[in-house]
Amino acid sequence: MLQNLIFGKLTIEAIPYHVPIIMGAAAFMGIALLGVLFLITFYRKWGYIWNDWVVSVDHKKIGIMYMILAFVMLLRGFSDVVLMRSQQALAAGSHLGYLPPEHYDQIFTAHGVIMIFFVAMPFMFGLLNIAVPLQIGARDVAYPYLNSISFWLTFVGAMLCNISLVVGSFAATGWLAYPPLSELYYSPDVGVDYYIWSLQIAGVGTLLAGINFIATIMKMRCKGMTLMKMPIFVWSALCAMILVALAFPVLTVTLGMLSLDRLLDMHFFTDFSGGSPLMYINLIWVWGHPEVYILILPAFGVFSEVVATFSHKKLFGYTTMVWAIVIITFLSFIVWLHHFFTMGAGADVNAFFGITTMIIAIPTGVKVFNWLFTMYKGRINMATPMLWVIAFFTTFAIGGMTGVMMSVPPVDFQVHNSLFLIAHFHNVIIGGVLFGYFAGIIYWFPKAFGFSLDEKWGKRSFYLWVVGFYLAFMPLYVLGLDGFARRVNHYENVLYQPYLIAAALGALLIMLGIACQLIQLFVSIKNRRALRDKTGDPWNARTLEWSVSSPAPFYNFAVLPIATEIDQFWIDKEKHLAEGRIHPKDIHYHPIHMPKDTPIGFIIAMFAGIAGFALIWHMLIPGIIGFLGVVLSIIARTFSKDIDYYVDVETIKKIELQHYKELTNA
Amino acid sequence: MHNQAAIVDEHHHHDSDATDVFGFWLYILTDCILFGTLFSTFLVLNYPGSPGPILKNYSNLHDILIETFLLLASNFTFCLASLNLYKDKLCKVQLWLVLTFLFGAGFVFMEVSEFIHMAHEGFRWDVSGQISAFFTLVGTHGLHVSFGLLWILVMIIQLPLLKITAITKRRMTYLGLFWNFLDIVWIFVFTIVYLMGAM
Amino acid sequence: MSHHEVGQSDYGTGQKKLGMYLAGVISCIILTIIAFWAVLSDRFSRQEILIIIFSAAIIQFLVQVICFLRLTTETEQGKTNVMSFIFTGVILLCFVVGSLWIMNNLNYYTLI
Repeated sequence: MLQNLIFGKLTIEAIPYHVPIIMGAAAFMGIALLGVLFLITFYRKWGYIWNDWVVSVDHKKIGIMYMILAFVMLLRGFSDVVLMRSQQALAAGSHLGYLPPEHYDQIFTAHGVIMIFFVAMPFMFGLLNIAVPLQIGARDVAYPYLNSISFWLTFVGAMLCNISLVVGSFAATGWLAYPPLSELYYSPDVGVDYYIWSLQIAGVGTLLAGINFIATIMKMRCKGMTLMKMPIFVWSALCAMILVALAFPVLTVTLGMLSLDRLLDMHFFTDFSGGSPLMYINLIWVWGHPEVYILILPAFGVFSEVVATFSHKKLFGYTTMVWAIVIITFLSFIVWLHHFFTMGAGADVNAFFGITTMIIAIPTGVKVFNWLFTMYKGRINMATPMLWVIAFFTTFAIGGMTGVMMSVPPVDFQVHNSLFLIAHFHNVIIGGVLFGYFAGIIYWFPKAFGFSLDEKWGKRSFYLWVVGFYLAFMPLYVLGLDGFARRVNHYENVLYQPYLIAAALGALLIMLGIACQLIQLFVSIKNRRALRDKTGDPWNARTLEWSVSSPAPFYNFAVLPIATEIDQFWIDKEKHLAEGRIHPKDIHYHPIHMPKDTPIGFIIAMFAGIAGFALIWHMLIPGIIGFLGVVLSIIARTFSKDIDYYVDVETIKKIELQHYKELTNA
Repeated sequence: MHNQAAIVDEHHHHDSDATDVFGFWLYILTDCILFGTLFSTFLVLNYPGSPGPILKNYSNLHDILIETFLLLASNFTFCLASLNLYKDKLCKVQLWLVLTFLFGAGFVFMEVSEFIHMAHEGFRWDVSGQISAFFTLVGTHGLHVSFGLLWILVMIIQLPLLKITAITKRRMTYLGLFWNFLDIVWIFVFTIVYLMGAM
Repeated sequence: MSHHEVGQSDYGTGQKKLGMYLAGVISCIILTIIAFWAVLSDRFSRQEILIIIFSAAIIQFLVQVICFLRLTTETEQGKTNVMSFIFTGVILLCFVVGSLWIMNNLNYYTLI
């Protein structure tokens, strides 16, 4: 009885020790994890990691942790790609490949979930955390403690997803887990529960981060920086966060209702007893469509920053760029039905949403033209970030065009859920989101770490990624038009095989591209002294984050800046050249009010993880412990008075002096 | 130097207080979307002619009226607590908070009794989608109220310990927003779920 | 006009006044009674009941927002609050009305 209360459905049988691929992957993950733990212990870095990173409420550190999480999960999600592409390249006609359908289904589900929730979203929040507070001249985000909670909740969600590989199984329903397949009677094992709870936990983290950044951008801009003087990246961040705040509650409720169906035998989405599976699809896409705009808007923001900086020219058409972002934000709430044109709605409904979908292409086009006009007659520096931008223009344009094709319902009826659709969304997500985030990472890496990334390996990874992408996905467009469905692990017609072999080769090239990115990281760290960014402004850029040292001091700005114009830093730079800089000893500093680091964010997330795991395996006592742990930690923290401190003027002077010396000697 | 630091401190705290309350307001707006989704689902699953037991045979409008007045009363007593908070009258704040708690607890008690009675009679969440939506919508509201009650208890304990400061005033502002918001959601619950259901 | 002490934060809410709260609670009681009475007494047609209860709900909603939440455009923060409130309301309307339209349409065409 007690055993049941503690362990629920969990038994040793949950570990799939008879499936060699999974056990191989688990062994690999286990060895990598042990290796990391060993290295940390050997170099005695546990104290450092805990004190400087785990308990940190500094947005810059949190941003870096998001990035690390995203990159590690990219490797995990990409291993799914290798499995899928190789399976499809092999499994033509009489060959069945090596992945049976039940396993293949879990792979494409995990691939989608990981890439969207645990790669793209963390990359985005990483960039937002590193850049936004600095760009608006603030010392941190509005709620640093909440920022820590958001990161750790996302981390826990990702870990739950990873644990599912070894203990139990993951959902085999596709990344959106449509009922009735995701209902208990068709998916009786714990897979869908892992899916639900890792997303619910990460979703809360995301929602809180959305609120955090809206408040930061609305309330913490430095003096003089009105909304229409903010960098475009900040505008795109603001609108993306508005989308987060309004869309993520829908995901929470929808997954919540699915979990109630599974846990308490309710009938929201069952196909009997008055349930409506179609309502789930409706609701999940009410969230799902804004979600993709959440991902792309910050990428657009990155492009605006990078194009202006690397063309040494002011961004063309600031006002129209802002309006384009705002219009895209609003329109993204009224297009969601285009994800299920074929579900059976009438022509009136389909036509309405088809038209709104077509309209949303227009402001996007305006932005592309404005970027091109920015580049026109600029003095262009073709460093790696700019290369990613150029690749984005063509790649995203193709992806967008196929999207507009599918916005016509009769066309969509032909290609819905075919490889044409797969090619389209990978086209816009990789060509738009990923290329944009890569550009942003290289652009802001020096600011975060104090040294630049190696250009040579950066360029190599770029070419491999781009060529690999086209090779991997253009064949899929052809196959999709010919009727090849998505999510199949085997096909009869061997004439399709060459296309899928080409696609597999493309995936191989991308894998080499990722390898080059890893090498780039190693090489850059090895050569970090040579690559050191001494001035804080390695790209000769235009916005406020480049006015501080690299990496930025923990308090960001010794004296909060005053921004009277767009690209105030650019204007200030010209003034410094003309009038010279002021020596720190002549500046009057004030003590700076900073938040204290705290372990509570990490602790709340760990308890949430325990609760999530307990809900999955129906472990009553651990579940209660987890839930109580979250609630009591939150309450306990509110009784604490030791949550902030003042940085004294001597410390500030010392740090500023050091930067000044490096700057003037550079 | 001390005075200067103090002024910096006050200034900063007041600035960040406004930001903090704005953030909580944003959270309330996200909660609106949450309830909106639950309402949509309720309306969709409760279309005319949907199968299974119907609400009006299992609920008593007079009880709902009493619950409504209890919640409304608790809303009003909380506002009185806020008024006294800004007059620095800690004892009165505690008094009105305790009354708020009692009215709110009365609401939750009646609602839980109603649910138990319904479940006994066969109006259960696992019988039909219609009823699942009912229990989830009304239950989610009830859960929010229960969390609010816990929060009121925490404030009752915390106010004498931490005294009335900018920080505790800010927290009472959050709680006030939350508590008022729940009464607003209840307006729609009793109108759409109970009154429409009784027609 | 709202009066701010020196250093008082702008929470974006109107000044707290007992008069407002009393007016609010009394209006809410009356509106609630009207709505319940419309349903419980057997005098009205279905159409009429719907109009009465929804009007009462919307009016009570506005009363609570203005009298209890003290949402106001008097301060800068208040204006931001009202704007974000209205925007949320618009999007909510899109979601709810859109979902109802779609589901009704689907129900008609697919009978699911």
